[in-house]
Amino acid sequence: MSTGIAGLDLVLGGGLPAGRVTLLSGGPGSGKTIMGLQYLLHGAGAGQPGILVMFEERAAAVRQNAWSWGWDMARLEKKNKLCLMDARLDPEAVISGEFSIKGLLAILDQRIKAVRAKLILIDAVDALLHLYDSPMRERHELYALHEWLLDRGLTTIMTVKTVPQEQAPSRYAFLDFMADCVIHVDQRVTAQITTRRLRVIKYRGSGYGRNEYPFIINENGINIIPITSNVLQHRPPGSKVSSGQAWLDEVLAGGYKCGTSILLAGTAGAGKTTLACIFTQAACLRGERVLYINFEESAESMVSNMLSPGLALQPLIKTGTLVVRSYLPEAMGVEEHLFHALKHLDEFQPRHVVVDAISACKRMGSDQAAFDYLMRILNACKERGITCIYINQSSGLDIVEEISGIGISSIIDTIILLRHLPIDGAIVRQLIVMKSRGSKHSEQFHEFRITDRGMDLVKT
Amino acid sequence: MKAKRERRRYAKPGGETYLFRLFVAGNESNSSQARGNLARLCEEHIKGRYKIDAVDVLKDAAGAHKNNVLVTPTLILIKPLPKVTVLGNLNDTKQVLAALRLNGDER
Repeated sequence: MSTGIAGLDLVLGGGLPAGRVTLLSGGPGSGKTIMGLQYLLHGAGAGQPGILVMFEERAAAVRQNAWSWGWDMARLEKKNKLCLMDARLDPEAVISGEFSIKGLLAILDQRIKAVRAKLILIDAVDALLHLYDSPMRERHELYALHEWLLDRGLTTIMTVKTVPQEQAPSRYAFLDFMADCVIHVDQRVTAQITTRRLRVIKYRGSGYGRNEYPFIINENGINIIPITSNVLQHRPPGSKVSSGQAWLDEVLAGGYKCGTSILLAGTAGAGKTTLACIFTQAACLRGERVLYINFEESAESMVSNMLSPGLALQPLIKTGTLVVRSYLPEAMGVEEHLFHALKHLDEFQPRHVVVDAISACKRMGSDQAAFDYLMRILNACKERGITCIYINQSSGLDIVEEISGIGISSIIDTIILLRHLPIDGAIVRQLIVMKSRGSKHSEQFHEFRITDRGMDLVKT
Repeated sequence: MKAKRERRRYAKPGGETYLFRLFVAGNESNSSQARGNLARLCEEHIKGRYKIDAVDVLKDAAGAHKNNVLVTPTLILIKPLPKVTVLGNLNDTKQVLAALRLNGDER
């Protein structure tokens, strides 16, 4: 049974166990209810009507929350494909002696018949269990509910709140044994950046992904970044394309190789962005789409700065061959950054991607986060045959050592180093190709100048 | 004004008739116990001044839904106001009497 979330179906090896109970546990705000709603709405759209039983929230509030995602629950209710049931217990009720949830089940039976329900979401089952004064009775009632759900063949998601940092409090540990599938979601904060993770703890009779999977909640609901494959399936590099400067093509023995990775490294002001933009303009003018991911400045400021070396990027943005996306690295977790980047790769289908600058990626949380991000982007580009240009800013004097402090230089195909040195009272700019896999290249430092027509070689 | 109304609301029930609605699930044991317990309490404390309206949720799910009854047995004191809800088989006589404001009304 599909969960309505493509990435989650993939992790589960197909979807939820049909006619069985899945337990979804997580702390407050971890995304349980949204995940459950997505499941019900997807089902309702796919001819599988569902029932939502809420022990904690008001039906009206849930409808409203769903609306903010653009999900129209009321419409589905009218079409008899969805039934919301407010099951909040009167907090002022006095409890005297034993009782059972027969009333609830009788109402549910009636509702199931009315909408011909196949799916059910039981939200915040822990609120129901709080009614019982002994763990034994809690367990007894829950087993009874479980049996009842199985008898009716309903594919169930039951959400239960857990205390953060704890997978399942021992009080509800028996729930894990009862359910056929157990999924845990959480959100944690590392270096002031929130990340969300999902893990399938158990799934009877199914091969499932056993890792922790990052996910994000955005305007479309839950998104799990699809895990493509662990195997490197890179396309062979394509033909060479011009770097946009004739003399640099000569230095590179023909230009950049399509579908490979290129690192432009150097100190601040050495001309890295200019070099990348020269290529960007040339590629766009050839009709090749370029995605420029900028962590340093806004599209507007980049466009205006590049007017000085004579680059006209605005017309390229207008015609749609160039897309510039500016993000603040610390604004989101690494998953969300990845999600945006991969979405653009798939929707815009660029021939080339520029990331300016990878040194800023550390601000996504940690060196590890930056490494993950850059590796995933690089792999995604190589799988799609996209040229990937990384810009890295080194600060120290020993540039070679820190060409790529993040540790990705070994997987980069071509490395170009830029530097500026004070010689005889003037700044001298130099460029050298340090590495170029599968291609001859010049091993000299080349002196250049940034003019209003791009970068000119200075013949020495 | 307000105080006056409040006083009337909480005034000693005196000769008032008590109206109960008891939601049960067929003849399961807790439901039977609740039925018996309620009848006994009424006989002992408000003899001749009560009415019990029993609803079997297995037969009348709509009635249960309308009253937001999720567990059985559920006893609702409808009159006199304010409304009181008691869940369970009503085995704890003292607690039930207190909840229904019947303690101190033994004449």
